[in-house]
Amino acid sequence: MKVTEAKKWLLAEAGRRGVDLEVLATSQSKLTIQARDGATSDVGMATSGGIGLRVIKDGRVGYAYSEELTEEALGWTLDEAIGNADLQEQGSAALPAGTALGRHELVDEGLSAALQEKKAATIQLERQLSADPRVQTMQNAGYTERRSEVEIGSTRGADGAYHVGHASLFGALVMREGESVKQGYEQDAKREFHQLDPGRTAQETLRKLGRHLGAKPLKTGRRRAIFEPDVVSTLLALFTYAVSGKTLAEKRSRLDGKLGTKVASELVTIVDDATLPDGLGSRPFDSEGTAARRLVIVEDGVLRSFIHNSDTAARTQQANTGHAARSYRGTLDVGTSNLLLLPGSGVTYGSGLLVTDLMGVHAGANPITGDVSVQGMGLELVGGEQVPVDDFAISFNLFNLLERVEEVGDDAEWIAGWTGVAKVPSLAVDDVSFAGA
Amino acid sequence: MLSTYSYSALLDQGRAAGADFAEVYVERWRRRALRTIDGRVEEATSGIQLGAGVRLFFGEDVIYGYTNDLSDAALGELIANLAGLKGDAAGRPDQAGRGGIDLRKLDAGPDIHAPTVPFERHDKLWRLERLRELDAGARISPHIKQVEATLLEWEQDVWVANSEGAYVEDRRVRTRLVAQAIASDGTETQTGSSGPGLSMGLELLDKHQPAAVGKRAAEMALTNLRAKPAPAGTMPVVLGNGFGGVIFHEALGHLLETTGVARNASALTGMIGQQIASPVVTYVDDGTTANGWGSSRFDDEAAPTERTVLINKGVLESYMVDRWGALKTGYRPTGSGRRQDYTYAPTSRMRNTFVTAGDTPKEKLFDGIELGLYAKTLGGGQVRPGSGEYNFAVREGYMIRNGEVAEPVRGAMLLGKGPDSIKKIVAVSDDEANEPGMCGSLSGSLPVEVGQPHLLVSDIVVGGEA
Repeated sequence: MKVTEAKKWLLAEAGRRGVDLEVLATSQSKLTIQARDGATSDVGMATSGGIGLRVIKDGRVGYAYSEELTEEALGWTLDEAIGNADLQEQGSAALPAGTALGRHELVDEGLSAALQEKKAATIQLERQLSADPRVQTMQNAGYTERRSEVEIGSTRGADGAYHVGHASLFGALVMREGESVKQGYEQDAKREFHQLDPGRTAQETLRKLGRHLGAKPLKTGRRRAIFEPDVVSTLLALFTYAVSGKTLAEKRSRLDGKLGTKVASELVTIVDDATLPDGLGSRPFDSEGTAARRLVIVEDGVLRSFIHNSDTAARTQQANTGHAARSYRGTLDVGTSNLLLLPGSGVTYGSGLLVTDLMGVHAGANPITGDVSVQGMGLELVGGEQVPVDDFAISFNLFNLLERVEEVGDDAEWIAGWTGVAKVPSLAVDDVSFAGA
Repeated sequence: MLSTYSYSALLDQGRAAGADFAEVYVERWRRRALRTIDGRVEEATSGIQLGAGVRLFFGEDVIYGYTNDLSDAALGELIANLAGLKGDAAGRPDQAGRGGIDLRKLDAGPDIHAPTVPFERHDKLWRLERLRELDAGARISPHIKQVEATLLEWEQDVWVANSEGAYVEDRRVRTRLVAQAIASDGTETQTGSSGPGLSMGLELLDKHQPAAVGKRAAEMALTNLRAKPAPAGTMPVVLGNGFGGVIFHEALGHLLETTGVARNASALTGMIGQQIASPVVTYVDDGTTANGWGSSRFDDEAAPTERTVLINKGVLESYMVDRWGALKTGYRPTGSGRRQDYTYAPTSRMRNTFVTAGDTPKEKLFDGIELGLYAKTLGGGQVRPGSGEYNFAVREGYMIRNGEVAEPVRGAMLLGKGPDSIKKIVAVSDDEANEPGMCGSLSGSLPVEVGQPHLLVSDIVVGGEA
């Protein structure tokens, strides 16, 4: 069966068994090109997809998914979803009332360039990176493009689809100067192939990593910190955990009960906006079919809203903000689209430590408590110079840090990575703990 | 899943397109996850994953593609597309393989990891009861405010065939039980966790009683609750056994994978035969440990797994070598080609990796340390193999004062450069143990064990409160 056919079969079968069903189907295609020694080397092409089920039976919810679209596999999947629902205690879960959402094309001609052009861009990136004599090893120079077709349907009438895609260039390399060795990774992602610029990506990759060569161990102490946008996007992703309606419903949020109160410096305004034309995280509706919109989360330091799907909204008696996030293999969660920290009037670079990267965040940051102790890369600001430093850790409590933000940069830039999609500026905070030699 | 004829025809098609080597990997997973919070079901999910990955080698260049349409037509089209992608640099058409590839099924003998209590033995309610036992076991103090219990079940069937005629079938069954406890005294909130996992069925819950797993997580949360922030600076560190081994996994193991070594992207490239660690260190990667979380009979490119001695008394003896790494470096393959699932091409990866036991009694390690850190349990970490820079979080830590384990501390992070730290191991105790974890790298997230006895490192940078 094809995905659309499987969706129909499942909705009809759910009807026969007297349960409510929401189906989320995704089909993805991917192209990767890597270059080595001035020619393309490894290439890859893939298509994949599957179908995710959310069943509601007597107010109880159960999930299951399948990538095998035979009647036998779909039958097993529906049985499991119902069995999983039966495990729940008596609940009041319900599918949101669905509407016809239409089909939305967000890719258009954006990725339609010829294969040769994409190969040429990849080779150009690799050549320009390799040309720098400080590059000891090119691990990877490559191009990736992805397209996803997302389709939803439910027994309560939701029906819609959208098509998104993006292209990116990336470089991973090791640079050396004398005894100093540094490894780094950069990527630039855009909605259209023609918005990519291999020359710019090469230059940025070399600049961002090369400035750390010759780093000296940092001395232990407290000092002013300036966090670059890359680092701010990581901090914001941790903060998202605390404003997630799911965290709130599970009673783990440090911000429980703080709506309308000050949770950050008045310089901090955080917005999530799924409607931006140039946002990589834009979407016409969320994974439950709730229409996209702009949401102010923190306004001038005051917490204005958590982010919710229909379930977390009901459980916390707050409004659904249209932030349902779910992959077909996963369960209903909440997630951001394009997360924005609005720019300020700029940061001053007189003194302190410019923090350019954090490492080990998945292990060294506790999103529940906000305690963060992670390895950093940075540049110490000494008499107008930027002096590279390494072998240090930076420790703080995220919530405390946000309250102490002193300056917000005017340098907001798009960051797309494992932390999601964000557009954020630099932030400066005084008196931060650094541990080193 | 596919017929022998299909595998042969697809591999032939790859060779005819000029590939020096072709491989078809097919897999089907059934997974279940059940998670409770405070004894109530928070999440229950089940799923089927199904797909095929095709890999073609043109010299040292690799082409990889995948699909979850397993029809002969779809797979044939995938191979044709992949060959077309290569285009400009296609190898010479192969004439040697005419007449078809004669696939030989490789036999690994009896499956020593096979479950004794298969998943079908018990129903969903039985599982829920076990998670409630875990919850009850964690309620050892009024400060324990929340308990999360998760049961994960994976059944993975794998079929791999390649143009050298090798064909293998492997079934990997894994079960993991994870407890997370949150403790709070009204002002502070801290967490603790415990998560045994093995290549076996539901007998895991006999081997690791849920109540005891819950209690262990709660004890850690309570210790952290009374812990003071860790100090910052450079000091001697005693690393706990078991999950303490994550330091070697990050600082050393990743640097010994040919994925990095072959590209000169590891700080330990070209050092076979050299003394790279203290002579008290012997480091092994073993894919054959009975029921090991990272064990399997074959790797994901049809090679039998093995026990590989990486470092013998401080001297580097072997890297972890996959097919591409062997081709590129000439080192002997070690059955180390692994991938998360069909959406990834395999790369050289760790399996169950551990420092072997030494002969120093654990208590002796603390002797003579005026001020140091006892990192009893570690969390995850990260490494950049090119520079060797690593870091990892201490989940349960204590100060060492005048040779004794003293007050608990929290929020410590250990960091440094792997090749430096492994020279600073001055003593290894006799209490080796392994624990399961998930390791993320180029070919995805994989089950691995890390392990070691207690060991003393003369100095490490401790990130805490300055």
